[in-house]
Amino acid sequence: MLDAIDKELLRSVADLEGIPKGAYNIRKNGKLLGREVSANIEIDAHPDQEGIMVRIAPGTINESVHIPVILSQAGLHDVVYNTFIIGEGADVTIVAGCGIHCGGSKSEGHEGIHEFRVEKNARVRYVEKHVAIGPGKGKRILNPTTRVFMAENAWAEMELTQLGGVDEAFRVNEATLSAGSSLMISERVMTEGDQTASSENRLFLEGDGSRANMVSRSVLKGTSRQDLKVNLVAKARCFGHIECDAILMDRAINKTMPALEALHSDAELTHEASIGKIADDQLMKLMSLGLDYDDAVNRIIQAFLK
Amino acid sequence: MLELKDLTFTAPEDDGAPARTIIDHVSYTFEKGLFYAVTGPNGSGKTTLAKLVMGILPAESGKILLDGTDITEFSISERSRAGIAYGFQNSARFKGTTFRDLLSIAAGTDDEEELVRIIARVGICSLDFLDKPVDAKLSGGEIKKIELATVIARNPRVAIYDEPDTGIDLWTIEPMVDLLKREQESFGTTTIVVSHNKTFLEAADRLLLIKGGKIAYEGKLPEADSLLADLSACNYTTICEGEDNAGCYR
Repeated sequence: MLDAIDKELLRSVADLEGIPKGAYNIRKNGKLLGREVSANIEIDAHPDQEGIMVRIAPGTINESVHIPVILSQAGLHDVVYNTFIIGEGADVTIVAGCGIHCGGSKSEGHEGIHEFRVEKNARVRYVEKHVAIGPGKGKRILNPTTRVFMAENAWAEMELTQLGGVDEAFRVNEATLSAGSSLMISERVMTEGDQTASSENRLFLEGDGSRANMVSRSVLKGTSRQDLKVNLVAKARCFGHIECDAILMDRAINKTMPALEALHSDAELTHEASIGKIADDQLMKLMSLGLDYDDAVNRIIQAFLK
Repeated sequence: MLELKDLTFTAPEDDGAPARTIIDHVSYTFEKGLFYAVTGPNGSGKTTLAKLVMGILPAESGKILLDGTDITEFSISERSRAGIAYGFQNSARFKGTTFRDLLSIAAGTDDEEELVRIIARVGICSLDFLDKPVDAKLSGGEIKKIELATVIARNPRVAIYDEPDTGIDLWTIEPMVDLLKREQESFGTTTIVVSHNKTFLEAADRLLLIKGGKIAYEGKLPEADSLLADLSACNYTTICEGEDNAGCYR
Protein backbone atom coordinates (compact mmCIF):
# COMPACT_ATOMS: atom_id res chain seq x y z
CA MET A 1 0.00 0.00 0.00
CA LEU A 2 1.16 3.49 -0.78
CA ASP A 3 0.66 6.13 1.89
CA ALA A 4 0.39 9.87 1.23
CA ILE A 5 4.15 10.45 1.58
CA ASP A 6 4.90 7.55 -0.77
CA LYS A 7 2.54 9.02 -3.33
CA GLU A 8 4.12 12.44 -3.05
CA LEU A 9 7.60 10.98 -3.48
CA LEU A 10 6.54 8.88 -6.45
CA ARG A 11 4.95 11.88 -8.06
CA SER A 12 8.14 13.89 -7.55
CA VAL A 13 10.66 11.34 -8.76
CA ALA A 14 8.76 9.47 -11.43
CA ASP A 15 5.73 11.63 -12.30
CA LEU A 16 3.57 8.79 -11.04
CA GLU A 17 0.18 9.31 -9.45
CA GLY A 18 0.19 5.76 -8.09
CA ILE A 19 1.25 2.34 -9.25
CA PRO A 20 2.51 2.64 -12.84
CA LYS A 21 1.29 0.72 -15.86
CA GLY A 22 3.64 -1.74 -17.51
CA ALA A 23 6.77 -3.11 -15.93
CA TYR A 24 7.87 -1.64 -12.63
CA ASN A 25 9.79 -2.27 -9.46
CA ILE A 26 9.15 -0.05 -6.47
CA ARG A 27 11.54 -0.21 -3.56
CA LYS A 28 10.64 1.33 -0.22
CA ASN A 29 12.96 1.56 2.78
CA GLY A 30 15.27 -1.14 1.41
CA LYS A 31 12.51 -3.63 0.61
CA LEU A 32 10.47 -4.54 -2.40
CA LEU A 33 7.12 -2.77 -2.34
CA GLY A 34 5.80 -3.96 -5.67
CA ARG A 35 6.90 -5.44 -8.97
CA GLU A 36 5.30 -6.14 -12.31
CA VAL A 37 6.89 -7.56 -15.43
CA SER A 38 5.70 -7.62 -19.01
CA ALA A 39 6.03 -10.04 -21.91
CA ASN A 40 9.22 -8.30 -23.01
CA ILE A 41 10.61 -7.00 -19.75
CA GLU A 42 11.83 -9.28 -16.98
CA ILE A 43 12.75 -8.03 -13.54
CA ASP A 44 14.49 -10.39 -11.10
CA ALA A 45 16.46 -10.09 -7.91
CA HIS A 46 20.12 -9.44 -8.65
CA PRO A 47 21.96 -12.80 -8.43
CA ASP A 48 25.03 -11.41 -6.66
CA GLN A 49 24.00 -8.36 -4.71
CA GLU A 50 21.08 -6.40 -3.28
CA GLY A 51 19.17 -5.02 -6.23
CA ILE A 52 17.51 -6.07 -9.47
CA MET A 53 18.32 -7.33 -12.95
CA VAL A 54 16.14 -5.83 -15.65
CA ARG A 55 16.27 -7.64 -18.99
CA ILE A 56 14.61 -6.06 -21.96
CA ALA A 57 14.09 -8.47 -24.82
CA PRO A 58 15.65 -7.68 -28.20
CA GLY A 59 13.32 -5.73 -30.45
CA THR A 60 11.11 -4.39 -27.64
CA ILE A 61 9.69 -1.12 -28.89
CA ASN A 62 8.00 1.75 -27.05
CA GLU A 63 7.84 0.12 -23.64
CA SER A 64 8.86 1.62 -20.35
CA VAL A 65 10.10 0.45 -16.96
CA HIS A 66 9.66 2.39 -13.74
CA ILE A 67 12.04 1.60 -10.89
CA PRO A 68 11.60 4.31 -8.26
CA VAL A 69 13.05 4.08 -4.77
CA ILE A 70 11.45 5.79 -1.81
CA LEU A 71 12.93 6.26 1.63
CA SER A 72 11.22 7.46 4.77
CA GLN A 73 12.92 5.44 7.51
CA ALA A 74 15.17 7.45 9.80
CA GLY A 75 18.76 6.25 9.90
CA LEU A 76 18.47 4.00 6.83
CA HIS A 77 21.25 4.07 4.24
CA ASP A 78 20.08 1.93 1.39
CA VAL A 79 22.59 0.56 -1.14
CA VAL A 80 21.28 -1.10 -4.28
CA TYR A 81 22.89 -2.55 -7.40
CA ASN A 82 20.69 -2.56 -10.48
CA THR A 83 21.68 -3.94 -13.86
CA PHE A 84 19.80 -3.23 -17.07
CA ILE A 85 20.31 -5.19 -20.24
CA ILE A 86 18.66 -3.54 -23.21
CA GLY A 87 18.42 -6.13 -25.96
CA GLU A 88 19.48 -5.63 -29.55
CA GLY A 89 17.24 -3.27 -31.48
CA ALA A 90 15.05 -2.41 -28.48
CA ASP A 91 13.77 1.12 -27.95
CA VAL A 92 12.64 1.76 -24.38
CA THR A 93 12.37 4.32 -21.59
CA ILE A 94 13.56 3.64 -18.06
CA VAL A 95 12.32 5.94 -15.32
CA ALA A 96 14.29 5.75 -12.10
CA GLY A 97 14.78 8.13 -9.23
CA CYS A 98 14.92 8.31 -5.52
CA GLY A 99 12.74 10.27 -3.17
CA ILE A 100 13.67 10.75 0.48
CA HIS A 101 11.29 11.92 3.14
CA CYS A 102 13.13 12.88 6.27
CA GLY A 103 10.98 13.35 9.32
CA GLY A 104 13.55 13.15 12.15
CA SER A 105 17.06 14.03 13.17
CA LYS A 106 18.80 10.95 11.78
CA SER A 107 20.25 11.00 8.30
CA GLU A 108 18.82 8.96 5.43
CA GLY A 109 20.62 7.96 2.29
CA HIS A 110 20.50 5.98 -0.89
CA GLU A 111 23.26 4.71 -3.12
CA GLY A 112 22.03 3.40 -6.43
CA ILE A 113 24.69 1.74 -8.55
CA HIS A 114 23.20 1.33 -12.01
CA GLU A 115 24.83 -0.54 -14.83
CA PHE A 116 23.45 -0.36 -18.36
CA ARG A 117 24.37 -2.70 -21.15
CA VAL A 118 22.91 -1.25 -24.29
CA GLU A 119 23.18 -3.85 -27.01
CA LYS A 120 23.67 -3.32 -30.75
CA ASN A 121 21.27 -0.83 -32.35
CA ALA A 122 19.30 -0.52 -29.10
CA ARG A 123 17.99 2.81 -27.87
CA VAL A 124 17.29 3.76 -24.30
CA ARG A 125 16.09 6.91 -22.65
CA TYR A 126 16.91 6.98 -18.95
CA VAL A 127 15.21 9.52 -16.72
CA GLU A 128 16.41 9.85 -13.13
CA LYS A 129 15.17 12.38 -10.61
CA HIS A 130 16.36 12.84 -7.07
CA VAL A 131 14.36 14.76 -4.52
CA ALA A 132 14.27 15.05 -0.76
CA ILE A 133 11.49 16.47 1.34
CA GLY A 134 10.26 16.46 4.93
CA PRO A 135 10.59 18.60 8.03
CA GLY A 136 13.35 16.54 9.70
CA LYS A 137 16.83 17.88 10.37
CA GLY A 138 18.63 14.66 9.43
CA LYS A 139 20.88 14.79 6.39
CA ARG A 140 19.49 13.50 3.10
CA ILE A 141 22.24 11.85 1.13
CA LEU A 142 22.09 10.52 -2.43
CA ASN A 143 25.13 8.97 -4.10
CA PRO A 144 24.24 7.53 -7.49
CA THR A 145 26.64 5.76 -9.80
CA THR A 146 25.77 5.11 -13.43
CA ARG A 147 27.89 2.90 -15.68
CA VAL A 148 26.94 2.59 -19.32
CA PHE A 149 28.36 0.14 -21.83
CA MET A 150 27.24 0.86 -25.35
CA ALA A 151 27.55 -1.65 -28.15
CA GLU A 152 27.80 -0.76 -31.82
CA ASN A 153 25.28 1.81 -32.99
CA ALA A 154 23.56 1.90 -29.62
CA TRP A 155 21.93 5.15 -28.53
CA ALA A 156 21.29 6.42 -25.03
CA GLU A 157 19.94 9.61 -23.58
CA MET A 158 20.22 10.16 -19.84
CA GLU A 159 18.39 12.91 -18.01
CA LEU A 160 19.71 13.22 -14.48
CA THR A 161 18.00 15.73 -12.24
CA GLN A 162 18.38 16.80 -8.62
CA LEU A 163 16.31 19.84 -7.82
CA GLY A 164 16.58 20.67 -4.17
CA GLY A 165 16.31 19.09 -0.78
CA VAL A 166 19.36 16.83 -1.03
CA ASP A 167 22.05 17.76 1.49
CA GLU A 168 24.90 15.72 0.08
CA ALA A 169 25.28 14.11 -3.30
CA PHE A 170 28.23 12.41 -4.88
CA ARG A 171 27.49 11.23 -8.38
CA VAL A 172 29.65 9.18 -10.72
CA ASN A 173 28.80 8.67 -14.38
CA GLU A 174 30.95 6.44 -16.54
CA ALA A 175 30.39 5.35 -20.12
CA THR A 176 32.20 3.34 -22.74
CA LEU A 177 31.09 3.85 -26.32
CA SER A 178 31.64 1.42 -29.19
CA ALA A 179 31.63 2.27 -32.88
CA GLY A 180 28.68 4.32 -34.08
CA SER A 181 27.13 4.64 -30.65
CA SER A 182 25.79 7.86 -29.30
CA LEU A 183 25.34 9.11 -25.74
CA MET A 184 23.74 12.29 -24.50
CA ILE A 185 23.86 13.09 -20.79
CA SER A 186 22.04 16.07 -19.40
CA GLU A 187 22.51 16.76 -15.72
CA ARG A 188 20.57 19.41 -13.83
CA VAL A 189 21.35 20.15 -10.23
CA MET A 190 20.08 22.80 -7.87
CA THR A 191 21.54 23.22 -4.40
CA GLU A 192 20.64 25.63 -1.63
CA GLY A 193 21.49 26.31 2.00
CA ASP A 194 24.75 24.55 2.82
CA GLN A 195 24.14 21.58 0.53
CA THR A 196 26.96 20.06 -1.48
CA ALA A 197 26.85 18.17 -4.75
CA SER A 198 29.69 16.63 -6.65
CA SER A 199 29.56 14.99 -10.05
CA GLU A 200 32.40 13.05 -11.66
CA ASN A 201 32.02 11.93 -15.24
CA ARG A 202 34.33 9.79 -17.31
CA LEU A 203 33.28 9.11 -20.88
CA PHE A 204 35.43 6.87 -23.09
CA LEU A 205 34.86 7.14 -26.82
CA GLU A 206 36.40 3.90 -28.02
CA GLY A 207 34.73 3.22 -31.36
CA ASP A 208 34.93 5.00 -34.70
CA GLY A 209 32.01 7.32 -35.26
CA SER A 210 30.97 7.34 -31.62
CA ARG A 211 29.51 10.55 -30.19
CA ALA A 212 29.12 11.82 -26.64
CA ASN A 213 27.55 15.03 -25.51
CA MET A 214 27.35 16.10 -21.88
CA VAL A 215 25.31 19.13 -20.84
CA SER A 216 25.41 20.21 -17.23
CA ARG A 217 23.29 22.99 -15.80
CA SER A 218 23.75 23.99 -12.18
CA VAL A 219 22.03 26.52 -9.97
CA LEU A 220 23.61 27.25 -6.61
CA LYS A 221 21.90 29.22 -3.87
CA GLY A 222 22.77 30.11 -0.29
CA THR A 223 26.22 28.89 0.71
CA SER A 224 25.95 25.67 -1.26
CA ARG A 225 28.77 24.18 -3.29
CA GLN A 226 28.90 22.10 -6.43
CA ASP A 227 31.88 20.47 -8.10
CA LEU A 228 31.75 19.07 -11.59
CA LYS A 229 34.43 17.09 -13.37
CA VAL A 230 33.96 15.77 -16.87
CA ASN A 231 36.64 13.80 -18.66
CA LEU A 232 36.12 13.01 -22.31
CA VAL A 233 38.64 10.47 -23.50
CA ALA A 234 38.75 9.83 -27.24
CA LYS A 235 40.40 6.66 -28.44
CA ALA A 236 39.01 6.65 -31.98
CA ARG A 237 37.70 8.89 -34.76
CA CYS A 238 34.83 10.34 -32.77
CA PHE A 239 33.06 13.46 -31.61
CA GLY A 240 32.61 14.68 -28.07
CA HIS A 241 31.28 17.87 -26.56
CA ILE A 242 30.92 19.17 -23.01
CA GLU A 243 28.74 22.13 -22.08
CA CYS A 244 28.68 23.20 -18.44
CA ASP A 245 26.92 26.26 -17.11
CA ALA A 246 26.47 27.29 -13.52
CA ILE A 247 24.41 30.13 -12.12
CA LEU A 248 25.72 31.39 -8.80
CA MET A 249 23.44 33.12 -6.34
CA ASP A 250 24.01 34.49 -2.86
CA ARG A 251 27.40 33.20 -1.59
CA ALA A 252 27.46 29.82 -3.33
CA ILE A 253 30.63 28.47 -4.92
CA ASN A 254 31.33 26.20 -7.84
CA LYS A 255 34.23 24.37 -9.38
CA THR A 256 33.85 23.13 -12.95
CA MET A 257 36.55 21.15 -14.68
CA PRO A 258 35.87 19.95 -18.20
CA ALA A 259 38.80 17.94 -19.57
CA LEU A 260 39.38 16.70 -23.10
CA GLU A 261 41.80 13.93 -23.92
CA ALA A 262 42.37 13.05 -27.56
CA LEU A 263 44.26 9.77 -27.89
CA HIS A 264 43.43 9.54 -31.58
CA SER A 265 44.42 12.07 -34.20
CA ASP A 266 40.95 12.17 -35.81
CA ALA A 267 39.12 12.87 -32.58
CA GLU A 268 37.07 16.03 -32.42
CA LEU A 269 36.45 17.27 -28.89
CA THR A 270 35.04 20.60 -27.75
CA HIS A 271 33.89 22.15 -24.53
CA GLU A 272 32.29 25.32 -23.28
CA ALA A 273 31.86 26.30 -19.66
CA SER A 274 30.54 29.30 -17.82
CA ILE A 275 30.03 30.23 -14.18
CA GLY A 276 28.39 33.46 -13.05
CA LYS A 277 25.44 35.37 -11.76
CA ILE A 278 22.27 35.77 -13.80
CA ALA A 279 23.09 38.31 -16.48
CA ASP A 280 21.62 41.77 -15.94
CA ASP A 281 20.38 41.97 -19.52
CA GLN A 282 18.31 38.80 -18.98
CA LEU A 283 16.74 40.22 -15.81
CA MET A 284 16.04 43.55 -17.44
CA LYS A 285 14.42 41.91 -20.43
CA LEU A 286 11.99 39.95 -18.27
CA MET A 287 11.30 42.93 -16.02
CA SER A 288 10.58 45.01 -19.12
CA LEU A 289 7.92 42.39 -19.89
CA GLY A 290 6.22 43.11 -16.56
CA LEU A 291 7.78 40.57 -14.19
CA ASP A 292 9.04 41.64 -10.78
CA TYR A 293 12.70 40.99 -9.99
CA ASP A 294 12.05 37.77 -8.02
CA ASP A 295 9.69 36.40 -10.67
CA ALA A 296 12.25 37.19 -13.34
CA VAL A 297 14.96 35.30 -11.41
CA ASN A 298 12.66 32.30 -10.96
CA ARG A 299 11.65 32.19 -14.61
CA ILE A 300 15.28 32.33 -15.74
CA ILE A 301 16.26 29.52 -13.36
CA GLN A 302 13.28 27.35 -14.22
CA ALA A 303 14.04 27.62 -17.92
CA PHE A 304 17.75 27.06 -17.33
CA LEU A 305 17.02 23.81 -15.48
CA LYS A 306 14.17 22.71 -17.76
CA MET B 1 1.00 61.20 -23.49
CA LEU B 2 4.48 60.89 -22.08
CA GLU B 3 5.93 63.97 -20.39
CA LEU B 4 9.53 64.55 -19.44
CA LYS B 5 9.98 67.43 -17.04
CA ASP B 6 13.42 68.88 -16.45
CA LEU B 7 14.95 65.42 -16.63
CA THR B 8 18.63 65.09 -15.74
CA PHE B 9 20.99 62.18 -15.55
CA THR B 10 24.66 62.26 -14.62
CA ALA B 11 26.89 59.26 -15.14
CA PRO B 12 28.96 58.73 -12.00
CA GLU B 13 32.74 58.71 -11.92
CA ASP B 14 34.02 55.55 -13.49
CA ASP B 15 37.55 54.22 -13.35
CA GLY B 16 39.13 57.66 -13.20
CA ALA B 17 36.75 59.25 -15.69
CA PRO B 18 34.94 62.19 -14.09
CA ALA B 19 31.19 62.31 -13.58
CA ARG B 20 29.44 63.53 -16.73
CA THR B 21 25.98 64.93 -17.33
CA ILE B 22 24.44 62.85 -20.10
CA ILE B 23 20.88 64.22 -20.05
CA ASP B 24 20.77 67.87 -19.13
CA HIS B 25 17.43 69.25 -17.91
CA VAL B 26 15.36 67.87 -20.79
CA SER B 27 11.66 68.69 -20.95
CA TYR B 28 9.51 67.30 -23.72
CA THR B 29 6.03 65.90 -24.32
CA PHE B 30 5.50 62.88 -26.58
CA GLU B 31 1.97 63.10 -27.94
CA LYS B 32 -0.20 60.00 -27.92
CA GLY B 33 -0.11 57.92 -31.08
CA LEU B 34 2.72 59.70 -32.88
CA PHE B 35 5.89 58.16 -34.29
CA TYR B 36 9.08 59.76 -32.99
CA ALA B 37 12.62 59.26 -34.20
CA VAL B 38 15.31 60.20 -31.70
CA THR B 39 18.69 60.74 -33.30
CA GLY B 40 21.97 62.43 -32.60
CA PRO B 41 25.70 61.91 -32.55
CA ASN B 42 27.21 58.96 -30.73
CA GLY B 43 27.35 59.69 -27.03
CA SER B 44 24.78 62.49 -27.28
CA GLY B 45 22.46 60.86 -24.75
CA LYS B 46 19.67 59.45 -26.91
CA THR B 47 19.87 55.86 -25.59
CA THR B 48 20.24 57.21 -22.05
CA LEU B 49 17.04 59.18 -22.56
CA ALA B 50 15.24 56.00 -23.66
CA LYS B 51 16.60 54.08 -20.66
CA LEU B 52 15.47 56.82 -18.28
CA VAL B 53 11.93 56.52 -19.64
CA MET B 54 11.95 52.73 -19.14
CA GLY B 55 13.53 53.00 -15.68
CA ILE B 56 16.65 51.11 -16.69
CA LEU B 57 18.58 54.14 -15.48
CA PRO B 58 17.36 56.26 -12.56
CA ALA B 59 16.67 59.95 -13.11
CA GLU B 60 18.89 62.20 -11.04
CA SER B 61 16.25 64.90 -11.05
CA GLY B 62 13.10 65.82 -12.92
CA LYS B 63 9.91 63.91 -13.52
CA ILE B 64 8.40 61.46 -15.99
CA LEU B 65 4.62 61.36 -16.35
CA LEU B 66 2.63 58.81 -18.30
CA ASP B 67 -0.90 59.99 -19.05
CA GLY B 68 -0.68 62.24 -16.01
CA THR B 69 0.68 59.62 -13.60
CA ASP B 70 4.09 60.32 -12.11
CA ILE B 71 6.13 57.21 -12.88
CA THR B 72 9.54 58.67 -11.99
CA GLU B 73 9.95 56.32 -9.03
CA PHE B 74 8.42 53.28 -10.76
CA SER B 75 10.63 50.22 -11.29
CA ILE B 76 11.13 48.74 -14.76
CA SER B 77 8.42 46.16 -14.01
CA GLU B 78 5.97 48.82 -12.83
CA ARG B 79 6.57 50.96 -15.92
CA SER B 80 6.03 47.92 -18.08
CA ARG B 81 2.74 47.21 -16.36
CA ALA B 82 1.83 50.89 -16.73
CA GLY B 83 2.13 50.52 -20.50
CA ILE B 84 5.71 51.21 -21.56
CA ALA B 85 7.54 48.59 -23.60
CA TYR B 86 11.20 48.57 -24.58
CA GLY B 87 13.02 46.91 -27.44
CA PHE B 88 16.66 46.51 -26.48
CA GLN B 89 19.45 47.32 -28.91
CA ASN B 90 21.38 44.22 -27.91
CA SER B 91 18.81 41.60 -27.05
CA ALA B 92 19.46 39.32 -24.09
CA ARG B 93 20.41 35.74 -24.88
CA PHE B 94 19.34 33.00 -22.51
CA LYS B 95 20.00 29.33 -21.88
CA GLY B 96 16.91 27.18 -21.84
CA THR B 97 14.45 30.03 -22.38
CA THR B 98 12.49 29.75 -25.61
CA PHE B 99 10.75 32.37 -27.69
CA ARG B 100 7.46 30.86 -26.50
CA ASP B 101 8.52 31.49 -22.87
CA LEU B 102 9.27 35.15 -23.54
CA LEU B 103 6.22 35.71 -25.67
CA SER B 104 3.93 34.09 -23.08
CA ILE B 105 5.31 36.37 -20.38
CA ALA B 106 4.95 39.41 -22.63
CA ALA B 107 1.41 38.54 -23.72
CA GLY B 108 0.31 37.33 -20.30
CA THR B 109 -1.02 34.12 -21.82
CA ASP B 110 0.32 30.84 -23.14
CA ASP B 111 -2.68 30.33 -25.38
CA GLU B 112 -1.13 29.20 -28.64
CA GLU B 113 -3.73 30.79 -30.90
CA GLU B 114 -3.08 34.16 -29.29
CA LEU B 115 0.69 33.70 -29.59
CA VAL B 116 0.33 32.78 -33.25
CA ARG B 117 -1.70 35.95 -33.88
CA ILE B 118 1.12 37.99 -32.34
CA ILE B 119 3.94 36.37 -34.29
CA ALA B 120 1.96 36.80 -37.51
CA ARG B 121 2.04 40.54 -36.84
CA VAL B 122 5.84 40.51 -37.00
CA GLY B 123 5.88 38.29 -40.06
CA ILE B 124 6.76 34.97 -38.45
CA CYS B 125 4.76 32.21 -40.09
CA SER B 126 6.42 29.12 -38.66
CA LEU B 127 5.01 27.64 -35.47
CA ASP B 128 8.36 25.90 -34.94
CA PHE B 129 9.91 29.31 -34.44
CA LEU B 130 8.01 29.61 -31.16
CA ASP B 131 10.07 26.82 -29.64
CA LYS B 132 13.43 28.22 -30.67
CA PRO B 133 15.77 28.76 -27.74
CA VAL B 134 16.59 32.44 -27.36
CA ASP B 135 20.30 31.72 -27.21
CA ALA B 136 23.53 32.73 -28.88
CA LYS B 137 22.79 30.56 -31.91
CA LEU B 138 20.04 32.87 -33.21
CA SER B 139 20.92 35.14 -36.11
CA GLY B 140 20.70 38.91 -35.79
CA GLY B 141 17.49 38.96 -37.81
CA GLU B 142 15.87 36.21 -35.73
CA ILE B 143 16.67 37.80 -32.37
CA LYS B 144 15.40 41.14 -33.64
CA LYS B 145 12.07 39.60 -34.64
CA ILE B 146 11.80 38.10 -31.17
CA GLU B 147 12.57 41.47 -29.61
CA LEU B 148 9.91 43.18 -31.72
CA ALA B 149 7.34 40.46 -31.04
CA THR B 150 7.79 40.70 -27.28
CA VAL B 151 7.36 44.47 -27.43
CA ILE B 152 4.17 44.44 -29.49
CA ALA B 153 2.80 41.54 -27.42
CA ARG B 154 2.62 43.96 -24.51
CA ASN B 155 0.12 46.09 -26.46
CA PRO B 156 1.95 49.08 -25.04
CA ARG B 157 0.79 52.64 -24.81
CA VAL B 158 4.39 53.73 -25.43
CA ALA B 159 6.80 51.53 -27.38
CA ILE B 160 10.49 52.43 -27.29
CA TYR B 161 12.91 50.80 -29.72
CA ASP B 162 16.61 51.39 -29.15
CA GLU B 163 18.51 51.13 -32.47
CA PRO B 164 16.18 48.42 -33.80
CA ASP B 165 18.22 48.07 -36.99
CA THR B 166 21.30 46.82 -35.10
CA GLY B 167 22.44 43.46 -36.40
CA ILE B 168 20.03 43.17 -39.31
CA ASP B 169 20.60 43.58 -43.02
CA LEU B 170 19.56 46.66 -44.94
CA TRP B 171 16.76 44.81 -46.73
CA THR B 172 14.97 44.04 -43.48
CA ILE B 173 14.71 47.65 -42.39
CA GLU B 174 11.82 48.69 -44.67
CA PRO B 175 9.55 45.84 -43.47
CA MET B 176 10.48 46.69 -39.89
CA VAL B 177 9.51 50.32 -40.38
CA ASP B 178 6.24 49.18 -41.99
CA LEU B 179 5.56 46.97 -38.97
CA LEU B 180 6.16 49.73 -36.45
CA LYS B 181 4.02 52.17 -38.47
CA ARG B 182 1.25 49.58 -38.71
CA GLU B 183 1.31 49.00 -34.96
CA GLN B 184 1.34 52.75 -34.35
CA GLU B 185 -1.63 53.35 -36.62
CA SER B 186 -3.68 50.28 -35.67
CA PHE B 187 -3.31 50.59 -31.91
CA GLY B 188 -2.50 54.24 -31.41
CA THR B 189 0.88 53.29 -29.96
CA THR B 190 3.15 56.19 -29.15
CA THR B 191 6.31 54.96 -30.88
CA ILE B 192 9.80 56.20 -30.05
CA VAL B 193 12.66 54.88 -32.16
CA VAL B 194 16.26 55.69 -31.32
CA SER B 195 18.12 55.43 -34.59
CA HIS B 196 20.53 56.92 -37.08
CA ASN B 197 18.85 55.16 -39.92
CA LYS B 198 17.37 57.40 -42.59
CA THR B 199 14.43 55.05 -43.17
CA PHE B 200 13.26 55.39 -39.58
CA LEU B 201 13.90 59.13 -39.61
CA GLU B 202 11.82 59.51 -42.76
CA ALA B 203 8.99 57.45 -41.31
CA ALA B 204 8.71 59.56 -38.18
CA ASP B 205 6.01 62.13 -37.52
CA ARG B 206 8.51 64.05 -35.41
CA LEU B 207 12.26 64.05 -35.22
CA LEU B 208 14.20 64.78 -32.04
CA LEU B 209 17.86 65.59 -32.40
CA ILE B 210 19.80 65.14 -29.17
CA LYS B 211 23.16 66.87 -28.79
CA GLY B 212 25.14 67.23 -25.60
CA GLY B 213 22.30 65.88 -23.52
CA LYS B 214 19.76 68.43 -24.75
CA ILE B 215 17.13 68.48 -27.46
CA ALA B 216 18.82 70.46 -30.22
CA TYR B 217 15.95 70.20 -32.68
CA GLU B 218 12.36 69.00 -32.71
CA GLY B 219 10.27 68.92 -35.86
CA LYS B 220 10.05 67.40 -39.31
CA LEU B 221 12.91 65.66 -41.03
CA PRO B 222 13.33 67.94 -44.08
CA GLU B 223 13.92 70.98 -41.91
CA ALA B 224 16.60 69.07 -39.99
CA ASP B 225 18.69 68.19 -43.02
CA SER B 226 21.39 70.76 -42.38
CA LEU B 227 21.70 69.72 -38.73
CA LEU B 228 21.85 66.07 -39.64
CA ALA B 229 24.55 66.71 -42.20
CA ASP B 230 26.81 67.57 -39.27
CA LEU B 231 26.40 64.01 -38.06
CA SER B 232 27.38 62.42 -41.30
CA ALA B 233 30.98 61.73 -40.30
CA CYS B 234 30.95 58.01 -39.76
CA ASN B 235 32.72 56.51 -36.77
CA TYR B 236 32.06 52.98 -37.89
CA THR B 237 33.90 52.71 -41.18
CA THR B 238 36.00 49.84 -39.89
CA ILE B 239 33.07 47.66 -38.89
CA CYS B 240 30.41 48.78 -41.39
CA GLU B 241 29.43 46.21 -43.99
CA GLY B 242 30.58 48.78 -46.56
CA GLU B 243 27.47 49.48 -48.59
CA ASP B 244 28.04 52.57 -50.70
CA ASN B 245 24.82 54.11 -49.58
CA ALA B 246 23.70 52.66 -46.31
CA GLY B 247 21.21 55.46 -45.86
CA CYS B 248 22.66 56.26 -42.50
CA TYR B 249 22.99 59.64 -40.84
CA ARG B 250 25.73 58.48 -38.55
